[in-house]
Amino acid sequence: MMDKDKLRKADIFSGSIIMLFGLWIISQALQMPMKGSYGGVQNVWYVSPALLPLFVGAMIALLGALLIRIALKTVGRQGLTDTLHWLGSSELIHFLKSPALFRFYAMVVLFFSFVFLNIPRIDFFLGAVLFLIVFITMFYFDDDALLKKMLYFYLAGTVASLAFFSLGLSETLEASLPYPGDWLTLAFIIVYCIYVWSLIRNVPPLRKKYRTALILAVVAPFTIGPIFKYFLLVPMPKEGMVVAVLDAIWYWDF
Amino acid sequence: MMLFDRIGTFFGIVFHLASDPISIAVLFGSVLMGIIFGAMPGLTSTLGVALLTALTYGMDTSLAMVCLLAIYVGGTYGGSYSAILINIPGTAAAAATALDGYPLACKGEGGRAIGLTTTASTIGTIISMLFVVSISPIISYFALQFTSFEFFLLAFFGILISGTLTSPDLVIKGWIAGFLGLFLACVGRDLLQFYPRFTLGFAELDSGVEVVPVLIGAFGIPQIIQVLKDRFQIGETQKLQRIIPEIGTVVRNIPAIIRSALIGVGIGAVPGIGEDIAGWVSYGTAKNTSKHPETFGKGELQGVLASETANNACVGGAMIPLLNLGIPGSPPAAMLLGALMLHGVTPGPMITFEHPTFIMEVAAILLLASCAMFVTGLLLAKQVVKVLRIPTQIFMPIIGVLCIIGSYSLGLNIFNLYLMLPVGIICYFLTEMGYPIAPLVIGVILGPMADENLRRALMVSQGSFMPVFQRPVSLILFLIIVLTVVSQFDWYRNLKDRLLQKVFGRRNPHETVPKEKESES
Repeated sequence: MMDKDKLRKADIFSGSIIMLFGLWIISQALQMPMKGSYGGVQNVWYVSPALLPLFVGAMIALLGALLIRIALKTVGRQGLTDTLHWLGSSELIHFLKSPALFRFYAMVVLFFSFVFLNIPRIDFFLGAVLFLIVFITMFYFDDDALLKKMLYFYLAGTVASLAFFSLGLSETLEASLPYPGDWLTLAFIIVYCIYVWSLIRNVPPLRKKYRTALILAVVAPFTIGPIFKYFLLVPMPKEGMVVAVLDAIWYWDF
Repeated sequence: MMLFDRIGTFFGIVFHLASDPISIAVLFGSVLMGIIFGAMPGLTSTLGVALLTALTYGMDTSLAMVCLLAIYVGGTYGGSYSAILINIPGTAAAAATALDGYPLACKGEGGRAIGLTTTASTIGTIISMLFVVSISPIISYFALQFTSFEFFLLAFFGILISGTLTSPDLVIKGWIAGFLGLFLACVGRDLLQFYPRFTLGFAELDSGVEVVPVLIGAFGIPQIIQVLKDRFQIGETQKLQRIIPEIGTVVRNIPAIIRSALIGVGIGAVPGIGEDIAGWVSYGTAKNTSKHPETFGKGELQGVLASETANNACVGGAMIPLLNLGIPGSPPAAMLLGALMLHGVTPGPMITFEHPTFIMEVAAILLLASCAMFVTGLLLAKQVVKVLRIPTQIFMPIIGVLCIIGSYSLGLNIFNLYLMLPVGIICYFLTEMGYPIAPLVIGVILGPMADENLRRALMVSQGSFMPVFQRPVSLILFLIIVLTVVSQFDWYRNLKDRLLQKVFGRRNPHETVPKEKESES
């Protein structure tokens, strides 16, 4: 949590967003049936589906407004002017480029690419290995300069992967090569590992961390995944190359 | 006769569970996992229960409850390990334990402190279990008299009180979080007319937001981001000697233990506030009533005893409103509610009719879990402490994968992930800006109850709110809600001061209010 002074300044903005959100809820709720017939039910205000949303929206808008009032009273006119000035200054750019925020961006990119890009399209095991290798190496090395390089490299790979899927190359290649998306991911994992190795090969403590990261990134998905797939009988979100191999092994004897 | 029947049923269930090797294996495994989750700074018992909910989906209800309650009990206790050995509470519940536990470890009495927390936590859980067994029928009896107005007010009170008591900053932020949770609960087709509300054209949202993925997102993702963004490092662990149960110290402090357990049960029973508050209140009370308050914070055994008894007693306390009213008493209890609903058990006044032995079963599991925790704590503490050496940068990404596969596996729906991740990111921002997450979660869980009962009540009364003032329980709940809200404002405090001064001729100690609260008026 931020310190109190910064918090009150941030409250002006969070309060405004919350108040606007409350007003949006009210506007949406007002479009819901309040009278007349819907689905064979004659509406009166107290059975309307808008009843609770109207109350919730009104309370959110009211509390948001109250929060702005409290924040403005505490911060004062000078504080508000300073904050607005800060928002328009180069300090904001410095803040947005701070190492802590870079770590945040890295996590958001990793989570969003894993959930929205990889999980629906590539084999879960490969996706999880890629996610863990990138995630662990980025943070375990504990070096912001390295993290930045790895993030940019990963972003480039993600953009390439996005282009591969959105241009329909996956479907085109599937006729000649099964699981093209999985092969591409496997290739990217290998290239990423080589790239990271090239970054840290001269730093012995990081070499040890690199080995640990690689082992864990492979062992963890291959421990968690089979528990869900074969013991809890949960089909993976996308079953591709690795699941096909695991299925062949699992159902061979069992 | 009924009492003997209940006792017989209780011990029958205990014997049945204790004689089943699978249940015992799951019990010990889950307690151990809970202790590890509790001990690892950055992981919480709520997250443990959330992740295990996915794994227990395929189990039968009884075994799933063994698993989830055991991880809850173990997780609440496990926080004391890192609090004592590295001065970083593994969970918020053990924050008060660190104040005296760490100085004890620095003096070379870490083993003694962990022995004491093990015994105190076991006793706290067992006392709270006794309350679950004895108070539940009474609450259940009264709850059966409740009508829709009472249930609406109860749900609303739960959200409000949770917002009031858990907010780390301004109280209204807690209320905003609660209402945001209520909004999330409104998403989907409404239960009476099947009208799509806030679905934004997504067919997947027609059935509403899935509670468990939202809870996993709300608790898991912000935790991962916070730990890694702030470069959280686990410090050097103090040496751990032989762990002894400290029975002598416990016997000498029986009144203090009972007081702490009562505080824990009482706070646990208040909707939405959890073990951390119980630990602090109990610690504060122990310090205020001690003959040597100056020794607190310097390695006082009573301090460790007070916080650890209370935070584990909170587990049983949180079960009381959960089982009898369907209102979770703490964030992990909210997860348990989600898990119970997945297993087709709807907690509330009807639970004694629909599942007559369920409350007894929960009590029996609490008893067995506390015994398993005692044994595991004494025998495996030294091994568990080794997990504190694992860097957070390694286990947090793995927790991320568990959050994702766990959210997906409940319903086998990728859309759950599309919901879980944005909710997690939003919850991270809310946490950073001082909004508590517990009221949001309570709002999501109690929202359907509030919506359905409000409209049903108004349907019965033809749109009149008069029954609120005509029914005693409704009126009491309404007055408590009003009092909870107005007591946060300065004009009310001033008015109360003036009245007290006129009646008793004395000033109220709360006359001077903090600057922030002042501006709230």
